[in-house]
Amino acid sequence: MNDELMIDARDVHHHYRHEGVDEPVLHGVDLRVRRGEFVVIMGQSGCGKTTLLNILGLMMAPTRAELLHVAGRDAAGLSDGARARLRRETIGFVFQRFNLLPTISARKNVALPLIIRREKHDAEVDRILAEVDLTIYAHKKPGKLSVGQQQRVAIARAMIGRPDLLLADEPTGAIDSTNAQAVLELLSDFHRRLGQTIVMITHNEHLAVGADRVIQMQDGRFRD
Amino acid sequence: MLALAWANLMHNKLRTAISALAVGLGIMLMLISKGLANGSIAEVAERMQSVDAELVVLPAQDNIIFTNSAPFPRAFRRFIEKQVDDAGPFADAVIPAFFGQLRMGGQQQRLFGVDPSQMPLFLGARKMIEGKAFDRAVEYVRRLEDPATEYPPDDAPETVYDAFLEPGLELVIDDRLRRVGRLDEQTGQRVPYQIGDEIRVMGRMFRVVGVVETGVAGRVFAPLQTLREIALAGETKSSMFFIKLRADVDPVFAADRYAAALGDSARVELKSDYGVLLQESFAQVNMYMNASSGLALVVCFLFILLTMYTIVLQRTREIGILKALGVTRFDLLRLSIIEALIISVAGAAIGVGISFLAKWGLGVARPLLTVDLTNELLLFAGLVSVVGGVLSALYPGYRAARLDPAAALSYE
Repeated sequence: MNDELMIDARDVHHHYRHEGVDEPVLHGVDLRVRRGEFVVIMGQSGCGKTTLLNILGLMMAPTRAELLHVAGRDAAGLSDGARARLRRETIGFVFQRFNLLPTISARKNVALPLIIRREKHDAEVDRILAEVDLTIYAHKKPGKLSVGQQQRVAIARAMIGRPDLLLADEPTGAIDSTNAQAVLELLSDFHRRLGQTIVMITHNEHLAVGADRVIQMQDGRFRD
Repeated sequence: MLALAWANLMHNKLRTAISALAVGLGIMLMLISKGLANGSIAEVAERMQSVDAELVVLPAQDNIIFTNSAPFPRAFRRFIEKQVDDAGPFADAVIPAFFGQLRMGGQQQRLFGVDPSQMPLFLGARKMIEGKAFDRAVEYVRRLEDPATEYPPDDAPETVYDAFLEPGLELVIDDRLRRVGRLDEQTGQRVPYQIGDEIRVMGRMFRVVGVVETGVAGRVFAPLQTLREIALAGETKSSMFFIKLRADVDPVFAADRYAAALGDSARVELKSDYGVLLQESFAQVNMYMNASSGLALVVCFLFILLTMYTIVLQRTREIGILKALGVTRFDLLRLSIIEALIISVAGAAIGVGISFLAKWGLGVARPLLTVDLTNELLLFAGLVSVVGGVLSALYPGYRAARLDPAAALSYE
């Protein structure tokens, strides 16, 4: 695999089996993402974007793929445990619905990836909370934060472990345009400043402005 | 992980508290039933050790807890006394006891019928606190055993027989029973027994004539001869015997010799084994109590399982988040076990607390009951809670671990 490639996925197919019937979702997708690249995948709902992101994020295995390399590792043949460990070490997620744990504070949510890795986290959490301008809200539980603040917590959580790859699934889908702009600027800042590799899916073309590359997706395929 | 588990449980405090309380009640049931059984047996066994004797002769088949029969005739005592070696009889003293029942201190008591002349053997080192170890009964027994004494004729008025019997109607009680006392019907308060109080036994009014230090074999003693007179019309039968051996006789050897001589009609045991005999006699009741408390515990831990399973279902999305962050299946199983352990260990602590409270309550309501919450029993309760907690977390933990992360994240 080329060292410069963060993602090398070739001929990726996936279908869901629903009540005994196969429902194909991805039809031979090829995707290469270079280290430090900001790629936006756009497409209508149901075109397979989230399925592709889940496969790239090692959250599910494709039904079939010629090649699936993520962060320099062959991810196709990994066990569930090995996928979890690779995910823990190399991938950060930002979800449309934030997906914060409601039972713990914003600070604990941000610290979670490092806690899971059993690494010291206090200084790093302070630093990243300051970067996303949430220091004074750190003790609050997610339910007490605005949606914009929650998404910034989610981004801080995704970035705290300095992941090789940041995957963002409609990160502005559940927030207003002002907060959406702030979130986008935050992601762009991480990309510019730290050279963060980002793959973001969205159906909002305004959010693709700062991307290095925009890929259109339709019916489980990339459009040329 | 511990912090996360704690946060998860604290997120629904009421459910966590109810689960822990359920475990606590199960643990309490186990502790109190075991503590009560062990405490009662240990207390009786310890009191029996106070008798100045080495061997006990018991009915062959009877359960020593529940027996009140008197199967041994007078000849049996003589047979025991005749067991000899070159140095003479094995026994320095053969001490018959005749069991009866009476109600004192708010509950049924075993009445120890003993020969007043042998009372010092039952007292051992314990002193009389008040009164005497039988008073006029000593003279009554002497008169009864005097061949020259004439019984009231059969056609004599009942009052004549009553007057004949009256000196023998005496009781000696222990200090614990004295302090528990009787319920005063006028004030509704418990008042300690006093010398001169009258207690109905076998249809006759007996007087309390003495109070002995706590720890003697029985809580209530009466003259053996009086009880025989009332219950068996003077037939000289006994419920059991203690045997005080000659100083140079080995108790084990003597027990074997007595057992061989007495055959199937009785069993001869070391007095020091009385606790074991009580445990054996109590085995079936123990089994029932163990099964009951075991079943209660199983239900409690099924409750934890259900709680944990509900938590897994409710937290499906959160489990998906954790998986997305790289938590492994083993980590999730561990998280489930930690949560269940927190509930079960908290439940055990609650159970131990309630048990001590129940012990105190029983001590007030039923002062003669002994609940023995030993360190071993408390340790066992802790062990049960840990094992139960782990077992009840396994299936919910397994379900959590098996969840597909992508599907879990989209769970509504």
